[in-house]
Amino acid sequence: MSTELATTRMFFREAVRRAVEEEMARDPRIFVLGQDVGSFGGSYREFDGLFAIFGPERMRDTPVAEAATIGIAAGAAAAGFRPLAVITYMDFLMLGFDALINYAAKLRYKTAGALTAPMVVKTTAGAQGQGVAHSQCIEAWLMSVPGLKVVAPSTPADAYGLMKSALRSDGPVVYIDHKRLFPTPGNVPVEPAIVPFGQAAIRREGTDVSVVCHGYMVRVALEAADLLAGEGLSCEVIDLRSLAPMDVETLAASVERTGRLFTLEEGQVTCGVGVEVATRIFARIGNRPWSRLGALPAPVSSNPVLEAACIPDPARSAAAIRALVRP
Amino acid sequence: MTDDPIGRLRAMLLIRAFEDGLSARKAHGFQLLSSGEEAVAVALASALTADDQLLTGGRSIGPALARGVNPGMLMAELLGKTAGMNRGRAGRGHFAAPEQGFFGSHAVVGGNISVAAGVALARKMAGEPGIVAILFGDGASAAGALYETLNIAALWELPILFVCNNNQLSVSTPREASNAARRICDVGAVFGMPARSVDGLDMVAAAAAAREAAEHVRSGRGPAFLEMSSIRLRSHSTTARETRSRDELASLRLRCPIEREIARLQGEGLLGEMEIAGLREEALERARAAMVFADASPYPDPAEVLADVD
Repeated sequence: MSTELATTRMFFREAVRRAVEEEMARDPRIFVLGQDVGSFGGSYREFDGLFAIFGPERMRDTPVAEAATIGIAAGAAAAGFRPLAVITYMDFLMLGFDALINYAAKLRYKTAGALTAPMVVKTTAGAQGQGVAHSQCIEAWLMSVPGLKVVAPSTPADAYGLMKSALRSDGPVVYIDHKRLFPTPGNVPVEPAIVPFGQAAIRREGTDVSVVCHGYMVRVALEAADLLAGEGLSCEVIDLRSLAPMDVETLAASVERTGRLFTLEEGQVTCGVGVEVATRIFARIGNRPWSRLGALPAPVSSNPVLEAACIPDPARSAAAIRALVRP
Repeated sequence: MTDDPIGRLRAMLLIRAFEDGLSARKAHGFQLLSSGEEAVAVALASALTADDQLLTGGRSIGPALARGVNPGMLMAELLGKTAGMNRGRAGRGHFAAPEQGFFGSHAVVGGNISVAAGVALARKMAGEPGIVAILFGDGASAAGALYETLNIAALWELPILFVCNNNQLSVSTPREASNAARRICDVGAVFGMPARSVDGLDMVAAAAAAREAAEHVRSGRGPAFLEMSSIRLRSHSTTARETRSRDELASLRLRCPIEREIARLQGEGLLGEMEIAGLREEALERARAAMVFADASPYPDPAEVLADVD
């Protein structure tokens, strides 16, 4: 007898869609606003068909106005709704930082709990041939904002479960999909289920090094682990899933077992996710050998050669892990 | 909402006495006062009902008092005391008293404009009565947030009243150097909403204009834009350098909207000297009582620093 949940296979974008549809059906306060979220169905077809179900009030197309979109979402959230604001590229999130960071993330604190901003900003990170202002991974910036939650799924099941949690959360959440993940398939529970924030997932067990990553880099890490397994080097691959709050317990327990930490991210390593991961783990269990890999300190070009040169791939990841474990 | 001219005068006198009392206090924090702009706040508030919400930029004290926010709680909030409506955490730039019709200030210039549109959208989607008013300065009229929000508010016919308190200066930059429009209200007109400019030193005219604009929004015909011209009798903030000459300030003081309204009421035989003196004393007494209330309240415990973050 298996206790495994029954699952169904679907693409990442379909998992997002299912989560949004279920939550919107459950809670009439949820509505979606952003560019091309209406009859177009979302830039990545992640809202396919929802316009027909929920109509233009709740699948609300906006003009190209990221600052006002996030500000309006924040105001509507403070006034009792649960908006899902869609920002097509994470790079454009910067246009809405005032409302997101100066207003929404601080609202509960500054009003001593009287007002909250239960809103989700859904956006996309990562390189896919679109150049210097459509490719960035700035989640590390967001992790440093008190009051802001940041999640980044790497599988359809987590896209589904984390989006459901995000739409039930009482604080502002930035939910980040990686563009390269939308066409990927995976198994998603048949029965509705949430993935709570603050729980990392061990994607592959190993004994020589803990590889901590998130988003699309989980796939890169798993490929690197395959390469290294042929050399007798065993990687434990941990998917953060939730960057803020962070599941330090799972991470620290893994590094205690393997004795080494490798952090892998697509964004910049300076003040990056990896630094934060390492600092928190070592504060708990003491220092261990650690190295990190991320994008080179350069903008991410749309030029395919330069883009590939800039961001980590399985071969470079494997080389860096090898150098850490067998110096 | 009040048509009562004496009530409006009371509100203006309270703002002046409250802000004077606050700034006279030795340790009063970083405050943006509104001397010379009282008629703008009171005119706008006189057009709002209990169902409405007001949001402002950082120059928030006068508008909040005009809206009817409890003066003692406000003074406590401004001074960082726990008896403040937000336990003294928010201060002038960020306090909120939504249950008193003041949804909040947000001191990033222009920042509260789109938030206000979100509050208005919530009203519209919920089918709730009441409108939202957003009060901002001429400085914010140069900010991109205003234009994005005007556009969406017009497209979606949101129940929001945009009110620009044009006090002629953003810190040191004169209005002529900060906005290329002939009149600031013209920026509302291009989006198709009723837009007009009124003398914000003239209590009667300002109140009538605010009433007219609010009624438009209340009728469900979408947003309206009202520019109220005023004067700033103090420097930008209680810590900012004054950039104008003594002579210029002296001539500005002759245009004080409160004294103008008192003279009008006297001229119309609605107020006598004794009553005026009584109203002035009453305002001073209310401001003093607010200070006594604030002084009696403790500062928060340092352990509160991590409360209500997430």
